[in-house]
Amino acid sequence: MTTTVQSAGRPAWLNALAFAAVAASLFGAYLGLRVSPVDVNQGDLIRVMYAHVAVAWVSFAAVAVSAVAGIVYLWRDRPIADVVSVAAAEGALLFGALTIVGGMTYSKPTLGTFWTWDAKLTLTALMVALLVGVFVVRGLIADPVRRGRVSAVIMLIVLASLPLNYLAAEWFRTLHPAKAIDLTGGGVTIEPVMLNILLFNVVAAGLVFAWLLFERIRLGMQEQQDGDGQAPSAPAEAVHV
Amino acid sequence: MNEWQAIWTVAMKDLRTEWRSKAATVATVFFSAVTLLILAFALGRDESAMRLAAPGVLWVALAFAGLISSAQSYQHDLEEGAFDQLLTLPIPRVAVFHGKLLAHVVTMSLLGILLVPVTAVLFDAPVQTGHLSLLATVVLGTLGFSVISMFYAALTANLRARESLLPVLMFPVVVPILLASVRATEAIVTTGDAALAGDWLQLLLGFDLIYLVVTSAVYHVVVEE
Repeated sequence: MTTTVQSAGRPAWLNALAFAAVAASLFGAYLGLRVSPVDVNQGDLIRVMYAHVAVAWVSFAAVAVSAVAGIVYLWRDRPIADVVSVAAAEGALLFGALTIVGGMTYSKPTLGTFWTWDAKLTLTALMVALLVGVFVVRGLIADPVRRGRVSAVIMLIVLASLPLNYLAAEWFRTLHPAKAIDLTGGGVTIEPVMLNILLFNVVAAGLVFAWLLFERIRLGMQEQQDGDGQAPSAPAEAVHV
Repeated sequence: MNEWQAIWTVAMKDLRTEWRSKAATVATVFFSAVTLLILAFALGRDESAMRLAAPGVLWVALAFAGLISSAQSYQHDLEEGAFDQLLTLPIPRVAVFHGKLLAHVVTMSLLGILLVPVTAVLFDAPVQTGHLSLLATVVLGTLGFSVISMFYAALTANLRARESLLPVLMFPVVVPILLASVRATEAIVTTGDAALAGDWLQLLLGFDLIYLVVTSAVYHVVVEE
């Protein structure tokens, strides 16, 4: 209710996590912009890849976190699980939107067009559409228990549909389904230095996601305590995104 | 009453009310016919382009029609509180889902069987061979669409703005079903490649089963209250 609760309750580790996330992102950006060698084919454009791929991987991991939290909510009925599920879904929406923006900026100079119907980018677009659906439905249900259970169910279907959507996006422009499966990554090899920088950037993006996640969980728990079931426990619902 | 009988009874109830009112039939038949016309106008005057687009057009018309009729199916049950009574019956709730799904698949498959020759004529696409595999495609494709649309229709039945919400929720999920259905139809009608059609049909069956299992597992959560 009061502002003192907020300032007194803030744990030190959350500040440490925030600091670590920002520091890792800055160092990751330095590695990508200054340390990384120039790519044979793409030149300096490869530096976009470090941010873009890291953000994309984290967005899909966030969907998995949200769906798992949703399953826990359906199973155990703990309000905290719903708070975690929403927090992760909001993170997935943010990182998914960033993936699309990053993918389009990356695609324009390398492939000559903003939108290529590339499988991964198409999948991300579908994922963002699915996540927006979750938040729209959440905004329409007033009862917190029902809202949590329904959104957990939708997250579960989102998770189940992602592999199928990936296959669909892969086969979208191919004639035959079986021949398009390529587990070797298309023969693309990556320099060890570049791979290490990419992995560091993935860790940095993961830290930023974890920071936002815990920050949002903390906020969600305070809302539940303050609201006492009167106000919707998760306002702002991110419909405006 | 065992579960199979329960599914059958619920399906027959839906089919009987539809047979008597014909509300969904009239709406979906004319809606899909108008969709075919609109798409024919939109795609222009190039005959070969229209022929190539025919399988996609058929499935877009079927998907939109299925969307309308699945929303109506729950609307009819919710009026006069019939759906609540259905849920108080001593049968598993998932049997209600499967029963309504069965009725929906039957009506939508019949619509699909009707739309195939209409699309073939309007878009000048040849349908000489492969009638059985085309029938299998229509049934499996509508099953996939119906699983998702009937599930989300149950989920949105009590919400405001359900008419606009249902397509927003449903369409991103049915992309794999749409792709496999269109490609199987294309393989049968345009190229006449039976082996390729078989591959897509197997995939379609796999997608159907995955969605059927997932939605059946959580249906009881959606209709609780």
